[in-house]
Amino acid sequence: MTDLSRRNVLAALAASPAAMAWLASAAQAASDLAASGLVGKVEGPTMVTDPAKWPKTFQEAPMLAERVKAGKLPPVAERVPAEPMVWQPLEKIGTYGGTWRRAFTGPGDVENANRINASDKLFFWSADGRKIVPSLAKSYELSEDGKTYTIQLRKGMKWSDGAPFTADDFMFWFQDLYGNKEIVAAPIPDMTPRGKPGRFVKVDETTVRFEFDVPYYLLEEIMPGDTLLGGGQSVRQSQKFTFGAYAPAHYLKQFLPKYSSVEAVNARAKQEGFENWVQMLHFKKDWSLNPELPTLGPWKTVQSINNPIWLLERNPFYYAVDTAGNQLPYIDRVQLTLGENLEVINLRAMAGEYDEQERHIDISKLPVILDNQQKGNYKVHLDLGFAGSDFVLQFNQSFKSDPEVRKWLTNADFRRALSMGIDRDQLNETFWLGVGTPGSAVPGEANPQNPGPEWRKKWSTLDIKQANALLDKIGLSKKDSAGYRLRTDNGERLRIQITAIQAFLNYPKMSEMVGDQWQKIGIQADVKEMERNLAFTRMRNNETQIFIWNNGGTELLYLFPRHAIPVDPSEAFMGPEHGRYYASGGTDGTKPDDPNILRIWELFAEAASLKTDARNKNAQEIWKIIIDQQYGIGTVGQSPAGLGVRLVSNKLGNIAGQVCNAQHCRTPGNSHPETWFFKA
Amino acid sequence: MLAYVLRRLGLAAITIWAITVVTFIILQLPPGDFVDAYAAQASALGTAISAAEAQALRHAYGLDQPLIVQYLKWLAHVATGDFGQSFEYGRPVTEVIGDRLWLTVLLSLGAIIVTWGLALPIGIYSAVRQYSIGDYIFTFIGFIGLAVPNFLLALIIMYVGLRVFNISVGGLFSSDFQLAPWSWAKIWDLAKHLPVPVLILALAGTAQLVRIMRANLLDELRRPYVVTARARGLPERRVIMKYPVRAALNPFASTIGYLLPYTVSGSVIISVVLSLPTVGPVLLHALISQDMLLSSTIILMLGVLTVVGTLLSDLLLMWIDPRIRLGQLK
Repeated sequence: MTDLSRRNVLAALAASPAAMAWLASAAQAASDLAASGLVGKVEGPTMVTDPAKWPKTFQEAPMLAERVKAGKLPPVAERVPAEPMVWQPLEKIGTYGGTWRRAFTGPGDVENANRINASDKLFFWSADGRKIVPSLAKSYELSEDGKTYTIQLRKGMKWSDGAPFTADDFMFWFQDLYGNKEIVAAPIPDMTPRGKPGRFVKVDETTVRFEFDVPYYLLEEIMPGDTLLGGGQSVRQSQKFTFGAYAPAHYLKQFLPKYSSVEAVNARAKQEGFENWVQMLHFKKDWSLNPELPTLGPWKTVQSINNPIWLLERNPFYYAVDTAGNQLPYIDRVQLTLGENLEVINLRAMAGEYDEQERHIDISKLPVILDNQQKGNYKVHLDLGFAGSDFVLQFNQSFKSDPEVRKWLTNADFRRALSMGIDRDQLNETFWLGVGTPGSAVPGEANPQNPGPEWRKKWSTLDIKQANALLDKIGLSKKDSAGYRLRTDNGERLRIQITAIQAFLNYPKMSEMVGDQWQKIGIQADVKEMERNLAFTRMRNNETQIFIWNNGGTELLYLFPRHAIPVDPSEAFMGPEHGRYYASGGTDGTKPDDPNILRIWELFAEAASLKTDARNKNAQEIWKIIIDQQYGIGTVGQSPAGLGVRLVSNKLGNIAGQVCNAQHCRTPGNSHPETWFFKA
Repeated sequence: MLAYVLRRLGLAAITIWAITVVTFIILQLPPGDFVDAYAAQASALGTAISAAEAQALRHAYGLDQPLIVQYLKWLAHVATGDFGQSFEYGRPVTEVIGDRLWLTVLLSLGAIIVTWGLALPIGIYSAVRQYSIGDYIFTFIGFIGLAVPNFLLALIIMYVGLRVFNISVGGLFSSDFQLAPWSWAKIWDLAKHLPVPVLILALAGTAQLVRIMRANLLDELRRPYVVTARARGLPERRVIMKYPVRAALNPFASTIGYLLPYTVSGSVIISVVLSLPTVGPVLLHALISQDMLLSSTIILMLGVLTVVGTLLSDLLLMWIDPRIRLGQLK
């Protein structure tokens, strides 16, 4: 399916009357997506922050009213906080009930519903992903010197079991979880700006202060970001992680040695089938595994993720209401059904077996998906990504094992020539069905960190002539009889290895196409398709030359830098040794010779203490260097390829035409699924 | 006879022990361990695991101990019937497998019954009516059945099912029934979902068996005793069914050794493609995520079933075939 040429796609589209509009527009211009009807307006519910406009009385879902009647639950007025989150839904006030059917791929796919539950973050982003808005917390204040960050919580807010949610839950996380080496082994960067550890301080029941020794203006962006500190309970405390700034103290204390003894908690762990108390804690604090865990998101687990169905049910103490006073969410349950493979998930989606699904939908199936719209009673929305490139060729700057190859990988003109040897339009048509934006790795133009429109094309358009001239100039002028350039050390053909994993998109096939295109500039590329673990192990061992990945998340460079610059050894594709050097503060790895990388690091490190405008300026400078140096060759991006093909049942209401499709937006989290409802 | 059985049992025990060692070693061969696989998965979701973090996880899960210690610990647990907790599922391994086991067995048994039910009559027909139109047709279909990979068939059938018949694809239950408690309606729902995977699973096996049965029977039909039986005026049906077919069935008894493990995991690829809740996909996934305790338990189980199956088929053969029995006694 992935090799569908534009012609075949159009032929397939022509078979469906529903897709005719798109066919017509696609024939005009590939970028004219607006006319297709598939790319809607970015929109979402409106937050009502003026207390005068808040509802005074509250209603609840019928299933909860029954429980109240039976005396199992306090009345809704006592469950909703005194300072609730109030939403004006996108279209209208919804009606209660229904089960949202969705697909997941197994216990590793916890992120699937983490994102649905993303309103358990302290702060979030507006529907367009550009403005910071309150979420769990009511407001924040960053001191003038940037050293203290004070969070105001909502008064009367409660956990899903009815216990109050207060500043103590923050202190518990900071002292007892984050502060315990056996649970969190090392301080996280989010809490240690410029290497100096910060502190949590309880001011009163609903006020917490984070204090730092250095100015930390970046925290303002980290808290709403999809970060270790600001990510929220669902994502940061599921699986084996224990981050996320707050935790249900009243529940988790019983599993910690501090509140009884190591022997007591270990004995309990053994009794429940765990090896030790740490393993037990990793299970107990994971919302996807432990239905008893108190949570704050709109839905909570009732049947855990390690079953063929992961079932979620409304949180009776959820903190948001609509303008009519109805406690959210509208939808009673979320039923995630196991799909062992993606083909089945895509087929079921086309059969209309899911009410809303954007995760695991394969863009290469778009023509068939459109074709089945009526039959499956769903509508397709394309959500364009923020990231500059879904397919980046990352050049390993710390590569050592072959000095000749190292010489070229670290040569800027070599990288520029290779970038100009790529026909991005062909890639776009073949693998993105023409819906992506070709160009460099730089994030979208609307992004404040984008250095300007000219950087999209810089070194990033097809120019065989200039590419050849550059390669000749740097000393790669000798060629063999097949037209390939020769190594300067032994006269054999120069071969550059591309390591590609089958992930997100069909990277191996895309790399093959790039390799074919490079024939015209006399460069032999050997594409090595590898199993994921093996590829990552080799990458970390500094054995890969060019590594293929996307640069998702880099649109907010400081929150998620690893796909753009080598600062995080876990994914330092463009220099694992340099990544280690940076992360260890110079005690491990090797220091780069390239002054440009050192400059990037300097700009990056100082940004934590800069205010927003200055910070964005630094990011622009960094992007200019990255693009000018072509450490990562961008190809096609700002596309719906990742999480951007959204199938929504026609039965659902309050659905946005387009949602923010980016890491920090927790797609579809920031379009607030708690405001969606089933139309009667 | 008894000495033979005892010797076989002793050998089986040693084989099973050898399987535990080999299993453990093979599972250690891929680069990295569960924590690495976990870190790779986490980083794809945007969470970095620091080296210290990874070390803490390894410690909590005992992955930092020497291989031999891990092995002995595991063996000691297994000996007491405790297979440990699956890293990824966070549940006891026995529960993870147990949930899916009986559906897997049901599916595979169904496939075996269909395979044999189709293959034996067709094989007999093809041999008796060699080079007839019917034989050619079955041979033709049989070769297609052998040549088409059954996962491809599964994909095509799923798509046709969706487009033409508008039926729910994959899985063994409709979404309405997935959470419902057991009832007649749910059993009926399961019954409606079973035929497609069972048929797909059975198809390749059927083609193979037809060829085997046909060849075996053809060999027997040329034997003098068949000619004698015919000359004596036995009805044709009796001539075929009573002696040559029985003799031709002999090789089937020896396949029981493979049938036992097949009932548990024979359907890995088909189950993955059709998204069936069987043991196969769990094994595949456990291997990918290097979930040691889960994968080693399943592989051990398959090994034990193979050994037990082989033992059973040897005993069965000895019982039904005097030639083997006499050979042993000599």
